[in-house]
Amino acid sequence: MERVGGYAPLRDYAVLGDGRTCALVASDGSIDWLCLPDVDSGAVFGRLLDAERGGSFRLEPTEPFESEHCYRPESNVLETTFRTASGAVRVTDAMTLADRTFRSPLRELVRRVDGLAGTVPMRWVVDARFDYGRRPARVERRGDRYVLLGRRDALAVKAWDAGTPAVVGTTVEGEFAASEGAVATLTLAAAHQEPLVYVRRSDAEQSLERTDRFWRAWAGRATYDGSWRAAVVRSALALKLLVYAPSGAIVAAPTTSLPEEIGGSRNWDYRFAWIRDAAWTLDALLRLGYDEEANAFFWWLMHASRISLPRLNVLYRVDGGTHLGEDDLDGLDGYRGSRPVRVGNGAAGQLQLDIYGAALDGIWRFACERGGLDRHTGRDVARIADWVCAHWRERDNGIWEARSGRAHYTQSKAMCWLALDRAAKLAERGWIPDRRERWTEQASQVQAFYQREGWSEERGSYVRAPDLQELDASLLVLSLFGCEEASSPRVLGTVDAVMRELGTGPFVYRYRGEDGVEGGEGAFLACSFWLVSALARGGRLDEATELMNELVACANDVGLYSEEIDPQTRDFLGNMPQALTHLALVNAATAIGDAESAA
Amino acid sequence: MTVWGALAGGLIGTVVLTGGLRVAQELGLTRMDLPLLLGTIFTDDRGRASLIGTALHFLNGLLFALGYAAIFAAVGHTGWWFGLALGVAQAMFAGGVLVTVLLPAIHPRMGSPWSDAEETPLLEAPGFLLHNYGRVTLLVTLVLHLAFGTIVGAFAAGL
Repeated sequence: MERVGGYAPLRDYAVLGDGRTCALVASDGSIDWLCLPDVDSGAVFGRLLDAERGGSFRLEPTEPFESEHCYRPESNVLETTFRTASGAVRVTDAMTLADRTFRSPLRELVRRVDGLAGTVPMRWVVDARFDYGRRPARVERRGDRYVLLGRRDALAVKAWDAGTPAVVGTTVEGEFAASEGAVATLTLAAAHQEPLVYVRRSDAEQSLERTDRFWRAWAGRATYDGSWRAAVVRSALALKLLVYAPSGAIVAAPTTSLPEEIGGSRNWDYRFAWIRDAAWTLDALLRLGYDEEANAFFWWLMHASRISLPRLNVLYRVDGGTHLGEDDLDGLDGYRGSRPVRVGNGAAGQLQLDIYGAALDGIWRFACERGGLDRHTGRDVARIADWVCAHWRERDNGIWEARSGRAHYTQSKAMCWLALDRAAKLAERGWIPDRRERWTEQASQVQAFYQREGWSEERGSYVRAPDLQELDASLLVLSLFGCEEASSPRVLGTVDAVMRELGTGPFVYRYRGEDGVEGGEGAFLACSFWLVSALARGGRLDEATELMNELVACANDVGLYSEEIDPQTRDFLGNMPQALTHLALVNAATAIGDAESAA
Repeated sequence: MTVWGALAGGLIGTVVLTGGLRVAQELGLTRMDLPLLLGTIFTDDRGRASLIGTALHFLNGLLFALGYAAIFAAVGHTGWWFGLALGVAQAMFAGGVLVTVLLPAIHPRMGSPWSDAEETPLLEAPGFLLHNYGRVTLLVTLVLHLAFGTIVGAFAAGL
């Protein structure tokens, strides 16, 4: 792997996590991204967004090396193997989970180095820059540990058999020789407005193995046994890392401002929970047998939205907050010069009507699985449906969060139909207050609207909006949610048009038109998986399977996906790992499985 | 000062507090739902949790009213203004310790900053000064506890 200007390719990263925050580790052993204490907190290691000032935790041979990394089987514990002229070493990385038998640190990163062959000279550098690199650490020695201090945060660095630590400016670093059979251990323990917990070596190593056992057991609970099981289980493991355990929210990605175009300005903060992902999330969790996680996510969905009901916010902070003002971080260069670096997300203030369909479809799936809803939730769901009746005629910003203004997006209207259809179905089962007469009448009206205004005879497909006569890959979801029959001429025509006009190789662009933001972008990976699902549901199983094989092969070496991909170079673009892409992968795999079963 | 008066005040004060909280929820001011928080200690069924929690909340209201009565008796003063002052103390205790620290510590279905991937809590912890349940939750809680204290003080003093 070769860094460009200090930046590793996005495809080169693996993710670690503990259910509160995530770290991104490049295959050269550098931890280039870590926010503490939570996934949406300021970054302590932000080399991903500024190679000079961001900070990192590097651990690598001091001589030329080749490296490769992989997760332990069905685990989120990462192993990186370095090979040099002198020998080989393996670095095992994990963000450990708390052990109830002793006081664990608030957050803990453990790195164990195993000498595999020969003697490899190694070097490690902890360069912590608090608050996205704006606040260099103050380093203090306390006994045999070094503590890096920010304003509210503290990191304790401890190394065993990893050389004598030295303070160089604001970094703590050390060198050692990793001989065959030797083991060195490094830990980073974090505290936030509380005393640091010092860990013992045995505790750290025990925590690492315990964490690995947890992940294997968790992955083993997956009930999916269809094709592409390894990719599906890896997606489930990645999604679990995106769950913010204290609240049950699932962030869209653990990073901010990874660009959709290198050097461009399409750089967004995804460290929030989008209501849009609700239906996909609940479907994936329930289909894979993760009922507890589905239940927790459902509770989060109903609890977070309570403050704005019957209106739903587009996205929420992981702590449930709704104030997500978008700001630029001026001091950072951005990934390979892609500026601005943003924190917060301005889409929070948009009107996006499609989220109502996603939410009610998710609730419908959950209720079917659970055999109903409680009375309070049922009442809230009915209020949401009433709100849709009153507002579906409005223009909105659409699923792609267009900043060029509002429109009557066809996909948004179809999702409003979905919301009302699901509300009527819930009422039919007696799970929510029965106002079916109004809901079905309004559903008919919105369906007639999008089928009339959103259809182009000339193209033989649905189009983005009545006054935006262009293709939009989000229209693929019409058949995935059952808004339209998957084998209907209209859906098949739209699928063909999307492949023709937005497809490039196995990939699909979202759209080609304007969206109010300068610059271009890559192909959208979730749309590519939606195409697989649409083909499978439409009876084109061979095409779906072939496309799925190509897309699964496009994952990086540890099975992860970002938001977008450059169709020519296959470089990853956008934030990663991306929940929506992995959710779409799971949906595509199950759609093919369903189609095979039905055939 | 009468204990029966304090208990009557506690009952009515809890009605006002519970009702006020419900109104604040409907107005989109807060996610705070005390009956649900209390009830989910015992069940994850929302309907049953609300019922159990409401009963517990009223019991708590009466216990606090008895506490008020004890303080009135010990100090030798009773009145709505003294109840109001105790309401401030109660709000600080509830918002700063009871709901934010003690409840997450004992609640089997509530998350905490230490919850990790091994846990799947159903309820988010209220957070520092109840911030996770909405920005003005602390203010709503304070106002409603002031009302509670004032009512208990007034009833204990025989209005």
